[in-house]
Amino acid sequence: MATTAISQPVHERFQKLRDNWKAKTRHLSNVGQISLAFSYQNIIGMGPEVVPLILAELEKEPDHWFWALEAITGENPVNENDAGDMEASAKAWVKWGRQNGLLAK
Amino acid sequence: MNLLDLFPNLTAFNHEITSEKTIKYNCIAWVARSTDRWWQPGIHWPIMSSREDIGIGDLVLAFRSLGYDECPDGSFEEGFEKLAIYGSGFMYTHAARQLPDGRWTSKLGQLEDITHSTTEALECSDYGKVVQFMKRPFRPERQPQASEVG
Repeated sequence: MATTAISQPVHERFQKLRDNWKAKTRHLSNVGQISLAFSYQNIIGMGPEVVPLILAELEKEPDHWFWALEAITGENPVNENDAGDMEASAKAWVKWGRQNGLLAK
Repeated sequence: MNLLDLFPNLTAFNHEITSEKTIKYNCIAWVARSTDRWWQPGIHWPIMSSREDIGIGDLVLAFRSLGYDECPDGSFEEGFEKLAIYGSGFMYTHAARQLPDGRWTSKLGQLEDITHSTTEALECSDYGKVVQFMKRPFRPERQPQASEVG
């Protein structure tokens, strides 16, 4: 998966879906319910192209992007001891993104 | 969107906010008195689990492993601590813990902790309704040890 320029329409669609997902799921606790949100499913459906955008979100703040990232990439860089630790999980994915050229180092 | 918009049964008089917003822990962790992890089946859970174990029965099993047993209602009983499990369809959505004064405490997803007078105060389309109460003998507050969850 290499870094490529992300088109403006893709960027805008992602932001719209992200905002909708965040607004609808802030008060939820079950990640199954959180990731079943239609907007989240749409983001997963956008595929590898949005991985750099998701990683950039995680660079800003931890959030429940891990399921989407794992679904799209088939990877899980989170150490077993860090599972459930939102901050450590976000850092592990950001590190993975940098190592794979999906985020600026 | 504020809490009163999210929870139609919540009023200015039946709840109070008791913490800042944080994504570090969720309602399940809060009921179990853990505040450093987001408790989720297949990720961080007190019993062996897979990510698909998000049903109401799965959460009942998890709380049984922490010493709780099912009970018929959420009325206050001296010497016991109770919890309420909320569900919508097959899925668990939320859990609240009873306080020693009979009120309830909840962590609202990645929003704040609140104290609420009744369990009904949080029933809504997203949380559904209380589907199970559980209780265990009251024990002093302690954080679960790392070896107790996996």
